[in-house]
Amino acid sequence: MRKTAIALVAAALPLAAAAQVESYNIDPYHTVPYFEIDHLGFATMRGRFDKPTGKFTIDRAAKTGTLEIVIQTATVSTGDPERDGRPRTRDEHLRSPDFFNAAEFPTMTYRATGVKFKGDDPDVIEGNLTLLGVTKPVQIKIERWKCGPDPRTQGKRYQCGGNATGVFKRSEFGMKIYLPTALADDVKLWMSFYGFRQ
Amino acid sequence: MEEFLGNPAVQGGVAPFVVGLIVVAILGRARLGGLAVVAAFAVCVHLASGLTFTPLTSLRKLVLLGLIAPVVGIAIDFVFRTGRSLTAAIAAACGALTVWVFWSVLQQKPAAEAALLGGGIAVFVAWLVGSTLELAAQPVRAGAVALMLGLGAGISAILGASALLGLYGIAIGAGAGAFLLVQMLTGRRIAAGATFTLSASLAAGLVAAAALVLAQLPWYALIVLGLIPLGARLPASDRLPVWAQAFIVSAYGLAVAVVAFVLTWRAAPPAG
Repeated sequence: MRKTAIALVAAALPLAAAAQVESYNIDPYHTVPYFEIDHLGFATMRGRFDKPTGKFTIDRAAKTGTLEIVIQTATVSTGDPERDGRPRTRDEHLRSPDFFNAAEFPTMTYRATGVKFKGDDPDVIEGNLTLLGVTKPVQIKIERWKCGPDPRTQGKRYQCGGNATGVFKRSEFGMKIYLPTALADDVKLWMSFYGFRQ
Repeated sequence: MEEFLGNPAVQGGVAPFVVGLIVVAILGRARLGGLAVVAAFAVCVHLASGLTFTPLTSLRKLVLLGLIAPVVGIAIDFVFRTGRSLTAAIAAACGALTVWVFWSVLQQKPAAEAALLGGGIAVFVAWLVGSTLELAAQPVRAGAVALMLGLGAGISAILGASALLGLYGIAIGAGAGAFLLVQMLTGRRIAAGATFTLSASLAAGLVAAAALVLAQLPWYALIVLGLIPLGARLPASDRLPVWAQAFIVSAYGLAVAVVAFVLTWRAAPPAG
């Protein structure tokens, strides 16, 4: 009897541990990666990508987590979709091999390699950005983070959401056109994100 | 200095042209003046995007072939005897290499579309290389054709949404322009050979193909650009002074290239 009880407890332990890991699917409609870059030394240009996909997990007890987000490079938009008599728009130019080379590299991905916590919440994500076939480490700072029942579903769905920022040098990924003066090397990231618990 | 070299006009035009002139001046008498094209191209690549080859993307394969082409050209000029069969073999090889350059893009497309696109650009590059190689013994005509192929591919690429490919093409034109200008100013023909014709036609052909596959050059612009080498077959007597013959053949090529520019400018945006 005693052995059976011990066996049951031992069998249940991994389940209890597994239960601490929460899995979330990225909400593609409210997760929006933005980027900004210095243009000609005069102004800051901003753009965004639409409908990213991915998932993340979080284990508050173990202070660990994972993240994978996939961005379709052809969705890049800077608010210049109409040609208006010009041969091509800025958004078309951004999809060309000068920048995101969307025909050859239709996606860019970010995969976390580690998550640092501040209390119970994730604070800094260490990970790798793969862009134009090059993978380099990029750190993401979670600036805002909140989890709770989704009010749009009367609490039936549980979600986490927030904002994150990061920065990388585009030259490290082989995107070197218009360096150093016309377009800066540093690309700043700002992202709103939501994930639905599975 | 960094700001000066970062100017696209310097990267694609001024620096390649000056380097091309220097190469022709130094190596012209050694039958290697045709290296002006690869020198100009290499300078532009170095300044605009860097001479790196990992990961080996389509553009880097393009650059790699652009740098290897003159080596093959020198071997043809100094070791082998050029003939129709060799020209056809080189053209076919260049067509096959074109598929290799863009393989990573082609394999992402449905089989029928990939076959049509890959076959189309292979035939285009093979035609361009074959028809330009036949001008190897006619340096003025070859120079004029290469000038217009480079400028035609480059400006079409810019209109097709890629400034980088545009710079590559214009640099090829600048190198060819330097090769042609020295002949026009001195009145003496400089050996072109396969060193010049293979380098210019393969690199320009791949730039135009890249503008189709990776940017938004309309497919029919390639057909028009493919007509540029035919301009060298139009009347421009060899008895004319070098400068006059160069001017006339260049004008033929320019007339064709302008048609490609207009077609590219007016091309409808892609669906979706």
